[in-house]
Amino acid sequence: MNKAEKARAELLAVDELAERDSPVHRLDPLAKLLVTVLYIAVTVSFEKYDITGLTVMVLFPVFGYQFGLIPVRTCFYKLRAVMPLVCAIGLLNPFFDREILFYAGGVGVSGGVVSMLTLMMKGVFCLMASFLLAATTRIEGLCAALRRLHCPGLLTSLLLLTFRSITILLDEAAVMTAAYHLRAPGQRGVHVSAWGSFLGQLLLRSVDRSQRLYESMLLRGFAGDFRFAEGAAGSAASWIFAALCSALILLFRFCNVSAAIGSAFM
Amino acid sequence: MLDFQNVSCAYPGGESVLHGMSFHIAEGEQVGLIGANGAGKSTLIKAALGLIGAEGRITAGGLPVNGKNLAEIRRTLGCVLQDSDDQMFMPTVLEDMLFGPMNYGASRREAERLADEALASLGAEHLKHRRNHGISGGEKKLAAIATVLAMHPRVMLIDEPTAGLDPRNRRALINVLGALPVTKLIATHDLDLVLELCDRVILLHEGSVAADGPAEEILRDRPLLEANGLELPFCLAGPPERRRERRET
Repeated sequence: MNKAEKARAELLAVDELAERDSPVHRLDPLAKLLVTVLYIAVTVSFEKYDITGLTVMVLFPVFGYQFGLIPVRTCFYKLRAVMPLVCAIGLLNPFFDREILFYAGGVGVSGGVVSMLTLMMKGVFCLMASFLLAATTRIEGLCAALRRLHCPGLLTSLLLLTFRSITILLDEAAVMTAAYHLRAPGQRGVHVSAWGSFLGQLLLRSVDRSQRLYESMLLRGFAGDFRFAEGAAGSAASWIFAALCSALILLFRFCNVSAAIGSAFM
Repeated sequence: MLDFQNVSCAYPGGESVLHGMSFHIAEGEQVGLIGANGAGKSTLIKAALGLIGAEGRITAGGLPVNGKNLAEIRRTLGCVLQDSDDQMFMPTVLEDMLFGPMNYGASRREAERLADEALASLGAEHLKHRRNHGISGGEKKLAAIATVLAMHPRVMLIDEPTAGLDPRNRRALINVLGALPVTKLIATHDLDLVLELCDRVILLHEGSVAADGPAEEILRDRPLLEANGLELPFCLAGPPERRRERRET
């Protein structure tokens, strides 16, 4: 299996995760989308030294993964390319912000270290929440939810087709890579001298294939706006979930629950 | 039902592919569209569906093929593409089947009823909830036909239905196509299939109609077929020469 095939398989695996059946999967995509957006907005709004307040925000993804029957390690594995980048964002903070904020076991902890950890946590939590949404909601469901929010049809169709087109691009790349390696045994990767023609061919083949798919859609009445099969309004349970989660997220934001729990034991 | 009058067309920037083509297909006819590679079979189908512009007059179900009527034309003419992967672009068979009816205004429930009917008519109910990337070529072809049947077309335009199928799936598909009670135009190189399913054959050569008549007559006419880049169907030609020689020795 070459890299393109592996990438395609991973993409399809996320799609398959979204088709599982769990309490989280059964929730209305719109409710999940709104709660996730609220969670991300609230998470990034924490102040840079508010590490204790932020810590409690981990509960949302942890419970989400638990009830969604999605192993957390799957999230970290799928996002292995992005996680280091997210974690690297605050790496320079300890060099610029050296003021000691507190002592932990006699060791001074500077503001830079705290803000670095806060940034890392924010990034990781937001990625976890986004992946939870993707792994429990199909792209069609998300697009349907966006349509219910009166997002333009053109935009949602574009989003859906872009997502579907990635698999086409990877399909074509996989076939071309296999054909290349069959005639270049022992060679690792595609030689730099072939990159230009390889990319050109990939583009032409993908455009050709996309054109055929588009024609197939036209032949079945497509007029620029998807009629989503999953567009129905969700159950009351979905909105109870949304209200409860939103209330908890806002509570965690405006009351330092971690500090309150800590002081109860001190 | 489908009428071509002096139809010519060319791809943008390319040379002419169809030249002054005229024929008429009546309701209930089973027509085979044959010809060598590049003869214009697929282009003819595209022109009928309004996917490429054409000069002359094309009508389907009494409506001229033009921008205004395209939606109705494409509902009347159901097209099964050569490559089922091009036809099945949604994640599951069911969603693909709902796509067409819902675009034509059916509710989700109504579309699902149409999908169930189409799958039942093909004996392919087991495919309903399968993922498109996980089914075999033969199943995918059946599913592709089902997506078109769910739209209740009056004419089915089928491009290379047996391409890439093994003998068992080919046989199953021929049985399915034979049982479909609609007008059919089948573009194919599989002349045995044409002999079995079609009453009439339109033979294309370099974008023109080289012959149009009963399948039994045209498909037995070795000189005509060979002059147009084809051979007799296998069932009429008998085993190939070399094999016969080997057996005799």
